[in-house]
Amino acid sequence: MAAFVVSPLKMGPLLVLWLAGCLSGTWAVDRGNFKTCDQSAFCKRQRALKPGQSPYRALLETLELTNTKLTLQLINDNNKVRLLLELYRLQGNMTRVKINELKPLKPRFEVPDVLINDPPTEPLSLLSRDENGVVLSLGADSQRLIVSAKPFRLDIMEGREVLLSLNSRGLLAFEHLRIRKDTQASQQFEIAKEDEKVEDGMWEETFKSHTDSKPNGPSSISLDFSLPGVENVYGIPEHADSLKLKATDGGDPYRLFNLDVFQYEVFNPMALYGAIPVMLSHSAQRTMGIFWLNAAETWVDISSNTGSSETPQTDVRWISESGIIDVFIMLGPTPTDVFSQYASLTGTQAFPPLSALAYHQCRWNYNDQEDVAAVDQGFDDHDIPYDFIWLDIEHTDGKRYFTWDPHKFPQPKDMLQGLLDKRRKMVTIVDPHIKVDSSYKIHNEIRSKGFYVKSKDGGDYEGWCWPGNSGYPDFTNPEMRAWWASMFAYDQYEGSMENMYTWNDMNEPSVFNGPEVTMHKDALHGNWENRDLHNLYGLYVQRATAEGLIERSGGVERPFVLARAFFAGSQRYGAVWTGDNAAEWEHLKISIPMCLSLGLVGVSFCGADVGGFFKSPSTELLVRWYQTGAYQPFFRAHAHLDTPRREPWLFGPENTALIREAVRQRYALLPYWYQLFYHAHHSGQPVMRPLWVEYPQDTATFSMDDQFLLGRDLLVHPVTEEGARGVTAYLPGKGEVWFDVHTFQKHNGAQNLYIPVTISSIPVFQRGGSIISRKARVRRSSSCMEHDPYTLFVALSPKRFAQGELYIDDGHTFNFDKQKQFIHRRFSFANNALSSRNLAPGSQFTTFSWVEKIVILGASKPSKATLKTPDGKESQLEFEFDASMSVLTLRKPGVNAGLDWTVVLQ
Amino acid sequence: MFTNCSLGHCHIIVAVVLWSICVDSRKIRGISLSYKRFYRERKSFLCIDGSKMIPFDQVNDDYCDCMDGSDEPGTAACPTGRFYCTNLGYRSHYIPSSRVNDGICDCCDASDEYRSQTPCQNTCRNLGQRERAEVEGQTRVLGERLRLKQLLIEEGVLTWREKQAQLRDLQRVSDDLQTQLDDLRKEEARRKEEADALREREIGARETADNSPTSHYRPESPISVFKELDSNRDGSITVDEVQAKLSPVQDEEHALSEDEAVALLGGAHRVDLSRFEETLWTSLRTGDSVTIKGRRGVPGSLADEDPNIKAAVSAAEKASADLKRVEDAYETVYMEIRDLREKLSIDYGSEREFLFLHDQCFQLKVYEYIYELCPFSQVTQKSASGEVVSLGKWGSWAGPPENPYCQMRYESGEPCWQGPTRNTMVMLICGTETALRSVKEPSKCQYVMELQTPVSCQPALRQRGVHSEL
Repeated sequence: MAAFVVSPLKMGPLLVLWLAGCLSGTWAVDRGNFKTCDQSAFCKRQRALKPGQSPYRALLETLELTNTKLTLQLINDNNKVRLLLELYRLQGNMTRVKINELKPLKPRFEVPDVLINDPPTEPLSLLSRDENGVVLSLGADSQRLIVSAKPFRLDIMEGREVLLSLNSRGLLAFEHLRIRKDTQASQQFEIAKEDEKVEDGMWEETFKSHTDSKPNGPSSISLDFSLPGVENVYGIPEHADSLKLKATDGGDPYRLFNLDVFQYEVFNPMALYGAIPVMLSHSAQRTMGIFWLNAAETWVDISSNTGSSETPQTDVRWISESGIIDVFIMLGPTPTDVFSQYASLTGTQAFPPLSALAYHQCRWNYNDQEDVAAVDQGFDDHDIPYDFIWLDIEHTDGKRYFTWDPHKFPQPKDMLQGLLDKRRKMVTIVDPHIKVDSSYKIHNEIRSKGFYVKSKDGGDYEGWCWPGNSGYPDFTNPEMRAWWASMFAYDQYEGSMENMYTWNDMNEPSVFNGPEVTMHKDALHGNWENRDLHNLYGLYVQRATAEGLIERSGGVERPFVLARAFFAGSQRYGAVWTGDNAAEWEHLKISIPMCLSLGLVGVSFCGADVGGFFKSPSTELLVRWYQTGAYQPFFRAHAHLDTPRREPWLFGPENTALIREAVRQRYALLPYWYQLFYHAHHSGQPVMRPLWVEYPQDTATFSMDDQFLLGRDLLVHPVTEEGARGVTAYLPGKGEVWFDVHTFQKHNGAQNLYIPVTISSIPVFQRGGSIISRKARVRRSSSCMEHDPYTLFVALSPKRFAQGELYIDDGHTFNFDKQKQFIHRRFSFANNALSSRNLAPGSQFTTFSWVEKIVILGASKPSKATLKTPDGKESQLEFEFDASMSVLTLRKPGVNAGLDWTVVLQ
Repeated sequence: MFTNCSLGHCHIIVAVVLWSICVDSRKIRGISLSYKRFYRERKSFLCIDGSKMIPFDQVNDDYCDCMDGSDEPGTAACPTGRFYCTNLGYRSHYIPSSRVNDGICDCCDASDEYRSQTPCQNTCRNLGQRERAEVEGQTRVLGERLRLKQLLIEEGVLTWREKQAQLRDLQRVSDDLQTQLDDLRKEEARRKEEADALREREIGARETADNSPTSHYRPESPISVFKELDSNRDGSITVDEVQAKLSPVQDEEHALSEDEAVALLGGAHRVDLSRFEETLWTSLRTGDSVTIKGRRGVPGSLADEDPNIKAAVSAAEKASADLKRVEDAYETVYMEIRDLREKLSIDYGSEREFLFLHDQCFQLKVYEYIYELCPFSQVTQKSASGEVVSLGKWGSWAGPPENPYCQMRYESGEPCWQGPTRNTMVMLICGTETALRSVKEPSKCQYVMELQTPVSCQPALRQRGVHSEL
């Protein structure tokens, strides 16, 4: 839900007037509400610097080398301000570069709580040193780090090849903290230099009607990176843009600043709800990553010489409003390595409850308990599975979160029990803006504990949001977070039960009457300004909520929290979605690159509102969106308050059947989704992947974002064109084969395959060489399928080989982690034998599930199939062979899914 | 979501259950009596769709062999299968196979959860008792409701007759008025002609007597003045001609402005004779604003002179007034007939059972709003502040083809902010009193109301396949 518009009936007259002014009848984003680089003083200042001679010089005589790091002072020859450079060699092939003022007037903000630990270092060793610089060894692979003194520059080399250079274009710019010249205080100091011109926007900045007081003056930072040999860069979400990032010359840079953008447009670099300052570079030779750990407003410029005759090179420049330069250079060299490297810094995807991977039904709003019951029953009447029904803001008592509307939801526990009886769940919304109302307990407690964000004058910061005048709890304060978490206890959140989970919307935070619809930058979080940590606020909200859900269960149950705003590390706390999209084909298409971009930088649990939030989808668009969403990680339908109802059965029996089929495909595939999420949690590998991640040398895949892989083994090319009669899917891998999962037809890799489609088509292919487990008995909810048997789909490679995995646990607790209660099997098909063996000997779990059927694609007809179990027993399996498609189906092996077994074909 | 209305009757399922079936079906779980013949214990089983033959011990062995799911009536193995809840003591029904052993009790006899950890109780007996009691109660109430319905139908018949009679009466009045109108029109025309003829004659006489064009006694007809003013003889008088020939009464030297001239011509720049008579002629006759230059007095005031003409003109005016009065009366009657016909053209149900709702309104207060439904007319919503918003005007019956009279659609209400117009669907349900039962807004500006009335009760609420007590 969300974005800041609602019917006039629901708001105060003041706000309505203001909104009417903002809206004036257009559907597109009002760009005038959001800053361009030119309207953001620091961005304009920084961007005005042209590449060339850097004023920075390394003072080699200050070099110190310890076991863990190298330190070195830099001086700006123009103003003599000194900086301190720290270089770390981190375990896992990463280099950390930190630059701060040597003696700042006051401490500058360093982002806390994002790194999961102090990254372990490896010793650096000095290879050579002269007056021009030093050469350091980066350990393995003959990697060296060259520090050049004048101008200051860093180059990371491998052999004779430069992998990456810093400040090679001389755009390092570090605005040191200073005393304001026109104040009395400045007269007592003699630090003002001739060359420091006071420009507009340094000490105060006005945008529209809002003035930013900037008490600390200019404090921005910037650094450039050159990537020789690189033509493709990805990441830095969240933008509604193509997967492959575009050059920004002549336009605005990509902006990272968490904002509630009303009716956002696709294909532009404007900031959206979340920000992850991580960029991946990729070429056929190498994949690398740059993690710019800064939570202030950030702009990223990209330029590229692609197309010219010289060696391709991409230049990137990061600009942030405050804080320090703290960059992690992840040297890969493979995509998998970069994912692991980033995961070692910020952690991995939270392992969601299995049910959260199933289908979610949401709408702003399900009006009352009766409505919830009717929708729930509608799913059963139409035999469509679902796991979660969601309640948006209208369920509360006057937008007071943690409460229920006494008329519409008088008996929430009865409602939740009704869902529980069907093994289903609910999500209620809890937003981080708190109604200023002295009869509201939550508000009173936050106020009395002093937990609200403060305005620059020291009083509680207040702004307009859904409830009207609202306060914003300071989630950066650990005490505040602990208190917030305690509010999710069953005895605190009245009417809550164990099958109720949480949605944090508006956590940018959204402030309807604030600058750019967010918090004033001079608002205070303790000693720090919102300016310093703006992009981090949303992460803290989701974190505190997730911790609350864990605590309420005594640390037993895995939480599920959806948030709109996010930052690096948010993956540890739950799911995100692409915010308030629209019922347009373009928005369906953009959901793919948006979630792919997030997956590349750690956030696997991503989805877009199925059907589109604003506006009403055509039936065809709705059906296509279900078909696409069924193959994206977070699968939730959602709709704006002003749109007509669109539950799946409201569009005639044919469309109901199409949607049912898409949802059922999702449910059948849940074992595979769960296994992929276990991997994401375990090793940081994305669930939804661009093709180049698995085919890094295939240049044809580098800018592909209309199709994607789930794990390694499924390729999905959803139909996202209106009236499509066919799609052309690219099947990668020379010498590989792919099987259509619906028809079992075999296709060769490394080809563009034209697939004629009808409205029921969802083109999906299984990689030859893989084994995928499904549960064919689709039931009302995923919990109902817990003990059901598995069907294994063995897709043989041309060499008649295949491998796959199966992960099973209780589906909802931390016991998999704390008590190693899980099953992890490896299935292998080789030499005409399929076997299951234990991948996690230290683990223990019992399942009722068994293997019901084995379907072998690309098989030949055996004379017999023998099942062997460890107890030495052998039995013959019945089978069927479809010669036209070369599909062998083994009937009812019947073995428990947690046991060792082998089937031999003769 | 609004396409089905309960008609109050369901399919009737044979409720006879014999003990012998229970003995046999111990092996074949999940089938109904009528399907038992497909599952006779033999060496092999033929899928009911005939697609495949399998060994009989693969029936209900928790593996789906038949495409139609017929080999697994008692397990969850087949995606298209169905399981028969015998529900002894209550209603038998099918559930999808996917609901077998899923941990949720679906059959009241607990037969669907024979291998799950969820303990299900057999509640059929209780349900059956409760339903029978309910049905009995409802049957009693239904009798009363159907009696009320009959009364309302009869009332409707009376009203219908009344309205028909009213229509006939009005028709008669209308016919009378029509006749009168014909006569009066003739009379008016005759009188007018007479008066005109007298005037013409008088003019002719005076023209002979006095040839002077400026004679102030000269009797003038509109035609002669028209001719006089129409200097270029083109059959029309233009603004230029008016400006040239006329002047204000008070000030002959003063010329008329173009605007004044246009005003005199009734807003036109050019008039023909008949428009002239309606516009400028009238002004000249009154003589208090403009006059023809160089002439004193008022043209055409012959009536002042000649009592015969005066009498004829007055008779013509009276005939015209009589005509106007009857025309008005006719118009009123005509409108009444139209309204009544419109009302009578509405479909009030197969027995006109909904006619009694006409001219009635029903209100319901929901939170801060008062909703009002005036059947066959409109739906409104009144807020606490007194603001009234239209939620739709009568559109049509909107039930499914087999039962169109269970839903009404009201459409084209007030437009929504940023959206379409408001509309309301009224669901008619059986009840003793006629009243609004609920109002909902499932989507923004799309309302759903429940109107209960005995008229929507159906006589066919029978035993819905409930097993009789054994």
